[in-house]
Amino acid sequence: MSIDKKEVKRRDFLKGAATGVGVGVFAAMGMYSYSDARKELFPQKERKKKDIGVCKSIHVTNISETSWFDNATLIGDIKKSGGLLVNQYDYNWPPFGNGQGLGKGSYKDGMAKIKEFLPDRLDEAWDVILENCIHPDNPGGYSCLIEMEEMDGNKRKFLLDTGWSYKWMDECFKREGIDTMLRNKEIEALFISHEHFDHYWGLPVTLQYDPEITIYIPEGFYEEGLQYIKDCGHKGEVHVVKNGLFEVAPGFATYVFPVPIICRVYGEQSLYFNIAGKGLVSVTGCCHQGIIRFAETAYQEIAYENDNFHGIYGGLHISPFEDWDPKYDDLVISLGKYGFERIGCNHCTGVLCAKKFINAGYPVVEGTAQFRSKDTAYLGNGDTITFG
Amino acid sequence: MERYGTNYLEERKLIKRWSGPIPALLNLLFTLIVFYATWWFFHDPRGVMRMYTPNVGYMYTCWWLIVMIWIVYLFNFWPFKRKWLENTHPLTKGLVLCAFSFGVLYVMINGFFEGILGNFGLAYFNPDQLVKLPGITEFFAVEYSCLAILMFAAIAAWISPAWVIAMEEEPWSKLPQPAKGFSLFICTFFLSTIVYFVTMHPHMGILYHPWQSFTSIAPPYWEGFADTVSGNFHMAWIMCCTVVVWLLETIWQRYPFNLIRNPWLRRIATFFGIIVIAFAMHFFLYFVQELTWGEAIRGTRRAFAPDWRWLHVAEMAIFFLVPALFLNFYCGNWPRKFSMPVNVLIRTVITLVAAVTLYIMYYKTSHLFLGTQKGFSHPQQFPMIPLIWLVNIWLANNWFMDNWPGWKMVPKTVEEIEADHVARQAEIDDVRWSPSLGAGLGMGVLAGVAFYAITIYALPGLYAAIDILK
Repeated sequence: MSIDKKEVKRRDFLKGAATGVGVGVFAAMGMYSYSDARKELFPQKERKKKDIGVCKSIHVTNISETSWFDNATLIGDIKKSGGLLVNQYDYNWPPFGNGQGLGKGSYKDGMAKIKEFLPDRLDEAWDVILENCIHPDNPGGYSCLIEMEEMDGNKRKFLLDTGWSYKWMDECFKREGIDTMLRNKEIEALFISHEHFDHYWGLPVTLQYDPEITIYIPEGFYEEGLQYIKDCGHKGEVHVVKNGLFEVAPGFATYVFPVPIICRVYGEQSLYFNIAGKGLVSVTGCCHQGIIRFAETAYQEIAYENDNFHGIYGGLHISPFEDWDPKYDDLVISLGKYGFERIGCNHCTGVLCAKKFINAGYPVVEGTAQFRSKDTAYLGNGDTITFG
Repeated sequence: MERYGTNYLEERKLIKRWSGPIPALLNLLFTLIVFYATWWFFHDPRGVMRMYTPNVGYMYTCWWLIVMIWIVYLFNFWPFKRKWLENTHPLTKGLVLCAFSFGVLYVMINGFFEGILGNFGLAYFNPDQLVKLPGITEFFAVEYSCLAILMFAAIAAWISPAWVIAMEEEPWSKLPQPAKGFSLFICTFFLSTIVYFVTMHPHMGILYHPWQSFTSIAPPYWEGFADTVSGNFHMAWIMCCTVVVWLLETIWQRYPFNLIRNPWLRRIATFFGIIVIAFAMHFFLYFVQELTWGEAIRGTRRAFAPDWRWLHVAEMAIFFLVPALFLNFYCGNWPRKFSMPVNVLIRTVITLVAAVTLYIMYYKTSHLFLGTQKGFSHPQQFPMIPLIWLVNIWLANNWFMDNWPGWKMVPKTVEEIEADHVARQAEIDDVRWSPSLGAGLGMGVLAGVAFYAITIYALPGLYAAIDILK
């Protein structure tokens, strides 16, 4: 065979091979990638079943679930400022107002105007806020008191979140007696679910009654958020909880999820309680990671009574602005499979979503729609729920 | 007869102003500056117009893309005359044609979709109509209508160029402009409408409570297959189709479909071949996520939700488009010295490596300069917007500005055009059936399957080793 012929053969072979590689790759991609056979290759995770202990019960008091009072006003502000990705400290919302108008604020400018009043002279701070902030009467806040009864009958109290508006949250704290509990050091720690305005910016309201309270924040806070703790005059311990499981007490653990959240916030901490004889209870601020993700994480990570999901309390972050998306229907359709026995939802769950839960026959514990909560589908302000 | 821009892209000779990589680097720098300045002005949440809500910005981005495609591929620059295209300074041409495309875009969005369809047909195309629904805020009314309008553009961005590239403009290829353009426009607009109604309309129908079962199919028919009721399932394969169309047109030189000698068989094979390849990509990119992040869990949110995973398929697909276009526009579709199949394979490998690198770099750094949020699955993290915006700028630079400033345009002579046709045909004729080619094909298929198997086996470990968000 001549050299030329060999060369032709080699070139033809390469042309065929180059074409064949493409055909083979795309054929395999198309035929295998979404076939049932692929499932054999999924990463197999062994359940860790970490023992976090058990507690006898928890009793949750809804201090406030109404983070803002008028949805159209809040979302209108967001829209005019440039949407859901704008840094929350730039909106010029209370308390960080600089008088420059919507979307033109900053933490530094806002804090400079109120720092001297924090945390004890909140009435004076509020007067400054009224002058400099956009829509100062729209904010409310999210906060709840968790009373956990240990197996020996000892009771411990924790706060989850501290709301937003100084004025509204102080009223709510007084209504539920939180002010007295804090003064008496009955509440041993404040857990911040995430850095969002409606869960965190009311921090001085807690600190005015107990500036030494231990604070647990999730990993992922931005510089402004970390500085806020100092600027509010906090004198106690601050624990930055790393992503993953964190055991607090027998039967009580938190879990930090590294999730990106709107308004430039990152990371959320949610709470697990293992109730003796009942099962797992999830207590959440907003649950940006999704309640099913939260439940699935529990399934993978920890051991809980009867391998049973017992209850949910808190915001489930499905349609916080009463918006809707087909993916939310995926949640409504799927939640039933998890078998939760008591669901107390509110805040960012969305009233429409809560009603869809009720229509789907889920065991939603309805509320009284008092203290400006909008609908009985929510476990509203001043309502309580007990698990165990 | 006035030819307008018929075959303008083929019949222009782009001459480098400097040798070596300088023109490519200069154009990259120039387009990146334009990208960042316009990103800041139009989209950035910290910038001037802040359209990255995200759907407002996404809608305009997609519509600019499709309008440019219509101007160049369907209408061959009509009503701009050939002399004007050949003799006007690229910067002037770029500004005029961009302004023209924005005008068309404005008429389509505000006149056709919001004004006509939104007022007289389907309320969800017009936020002013949507906001009348009790409980809906103006913000989400705008977002919903933008989603509907942008999805139409996304579908058209696949079908319109596919008709030109795959169907070779038939049966209207011989018509003069603007008759050909309007024929292609009406045909592809009609097809896009059908695809829209069987993909995104049921998605829009269940945005309402109760589900609008009497005006759209609810629950949508794809629920069982896609593990979600969300239309993101369709957004994914449609975006893959768009990407495959442009891969085929640029780095693949329409190979291997251009080997088919029977014209109608070639056209039909190409048109449906694009869809088949796109679905392979669609399924694979979903599988990639299952391998790295674990199985999706229906009902959950963000990175584990099937609806977001499908959306991310579309996002991942766009990462392939960016290097492919760069290779074609600014690197002369390098390499060209081997046979067509080998050239195509090498370019595909380069594109693959560049796409993966770009993906990693994007998620590691974009939040530092684009004003977007850190992380993969934030509902406002839409890499499709900045990437398509960059692609739009490259298209404007290449189609409207003849690659200015790194290149200058000189019309090819008749002889050069003829020589191009001969060379192109020679490349096709060079790939002829022979026993050696058959043996290579068989070995290649085996190697391709092996490559796929190795990839899916190695992916979880590779992903864990890179840890993109650390």
